Amino acid sequence: MPAGRPGPAAQSARRPPPVLPLLLLCVLGAPRAGSGAHTAVISPQDPTLLIGSSLQATCSVHGDPTGATAEGLYWTLNGRRLAPELSRVLNTSTLALVLANLNGSRQQSGDNLVCHARDGSILAGSCLYVGLPPEKPFNISCWSKNMKDLTCRWTPGAHGETFLHTNYSLKYKLRWYGQDNTCEEYHTVGPHSCHIPKDLALFTPYEIWVEATNRLGSARSDVLTLDILDVVTTDPPPDVHVSRVGGLEDQLSVRWVSPPALKDFLFQAKYQIRYRVEDSVDWKVVDDVSNQTSCRLAGLKPGTVYFVQVRCNPFGIYGSKKAGIWSEWSHPTAASTPRSERPGPGGGACEPRGGEPSSGPVRRELKQFLGWLKKHAYCSNLSFRLYDQWRAWMQKSHKTRNQDEGILPSGRRGTARGPAR
Amino acid sequence: MSRREGSLDPQADSSVSLLPHLEAKIRQTHSLAHLLTKYAEQLLQEYVQHQGDPFGLPGFSPPRLPVAGLSAPAPSHAGLPLPERLRLDAAALAALPPLLDAVRRRQAELNPRAPRLLRHLEDAARQARALGAAVETVLAALGAAARGPRPEPPAAAAVAATAAGVFPAKVLGLRVCGLYREWVSRTEGDLGQLVSGGPA
Repeated sequence: MPAGRPGPAAQSARRPPPVLPLLLLCVLGAPRAGSGAHTAVISPQDPTLLIGSSLQATCSVHGDPTGATAEGLYWTLNGRRLAPELSRVLNTSTLALVLANLNGSRQQSGDNLVCHARDGSILAGSCLYVGLPPEKPFNISCWSKNMKDLTCRWTPGAHGETFLHTNYSLKYKLRWYGQDNTCEEYHTVGPHSCHIPKDLALFTPYEIWVEATNRLGSARSDVLTLDILDVVTTDPPPDVHVSRVGGLEDQLSVRWVSPPALKDFLFQAKYQIRYRVEDSVDWKVVDDVSNQTSCRLAGLKPGTVYFVQVRCNPFGIYGSKKAGIWSEWSHPTAASTPRSERPGPGGGACEPRGGEPSSGPVRRELKQFLGWLKKHAYCSNLSFRLYDQWRAWMQKSHKTRNQDEGILPSGRRGTARGPAR
Repeated sequence: MSRREGSLDPQADSSVSLLPHLEAKIRQTHSLAHLLTKYAEQLLQEYVQHQGDPFGLPGFSPPRLPVAGLSAPAPSHAGLPLPERLRLDAAALAALPPLLDAVRRRQAELNPRAPRLLRHLEDAARQARALGAAVETVLAALGAAARGPRPEPPAAAAVAATAAGVFPAKVLGLRVCGLYREWVSRTEGDLGQLVSGGPA
């Protein structure tokens, strides 16, 4: 038997139907004036039942006594005729039906159980709601955009499918005081989510939970306690620019602006950069970019278009010790590395995580050497920046020398472009 | 516009400067009716899908429940004079919106996870209202508007209702969607006759 608080008795577990704002001059079950025809009533009307349970129903005909008879009546369920052995005539005007081991309802509006006359005409109908009570929702996660709102998401109970419409309600309250509030904007980021747009307090914990209710019962999630400041996210960094680094064919410079919505608050932003080659789906991630608004990508392929994105994690707002929540990625920005006559070296500031063939041993060893120098020698000005400047200078003088000597990119000699000797 | 009362032959007096405007209005209203006929057919298909079988099955023939304030176009409708037909069309279109709203409210309980159906029911009520108003404008321009105040459609709160089960509610909604389709189609046909300059 499924978990969850038991609901009302299954067969009578339906709310009274709301009043339709129409005058029904004739409904199924009421005799038609002067027609001589007969109609019927099915009992029970619109029952709610557990999966696997049984239903006993009756179709009672009334109307023209000489014509009203249970003989010849038959049942259909969702348009399919039910086997005669499931029915039996109780009396001249009543046909009974027993359905055992019911399956879950086929549609949320209820399974259509219909009583037919011998000629196939519809005498009466009743809608069956067969399902399960809800299970406890779990895995609630919440985040606040710039401390202004709160969005929460959850997972429905373990099995999810109850075969009945199940209503989920996100509730919240301040931990030590205040009344229960109900979230009102649902399905903002998926089917099981809700958005609280305003009137949220900071520096004081909230208790948040989800209540699931359907015709067969209800269930409540565990309570999540959080402070808005511990679940802050923000907008992606705006104004992301990617540009070449002089003539360096294996590097690109990425610059961005810190998210303006949080600029007035003390926080230590973390940033992540990801980039990929134009015709690839594999992103490489640079995630050691702390509290800076620029980074240089190195070890790139020359003459290649790269797409770059940046995101921000505003952790530490007002002293929060929690990890913070990453923003969405910024819109992709593209730039191309200069074409090269020889493959570029690998590695550099804001190096990608592994895999890049040109972040090779030369650059790695140089990095280690520079680190050692800083500790043991008075060379505080040494940096990769200086090294890159030197490389740019080297390439320039290499090109100039090749031109003077008429050396083609492949290394073969060709016609000199300089003045004739 | 003809000075003969109730005449609907816009081409009878071509010296009237408003005639091209009126003809344009008639064509526009006819086009609207044509479009809504298609939408009404789609609405009916969408409605039956969400009620479950046997609603969508061929041969499904539930009792045609009478609905307060609105009946289907009578077989004699086609034989009536065109002004009278258009007045009946306008009256039916005015009666449809509260009925469609009622169906939408009930479907919001029965099919809460069918937002498209609910939106289309809401749209249908609005479209019926718009088409009805357009037909009345045409009638007024032709001097053939209904005399006296039109009886108000049954107000939602003022009408006593039999507490209906879910199955009858589904059947009733089907009936209302069917009536909507029949009346917009009927309106399209009647306006079409006006566009082609048929006899009044």
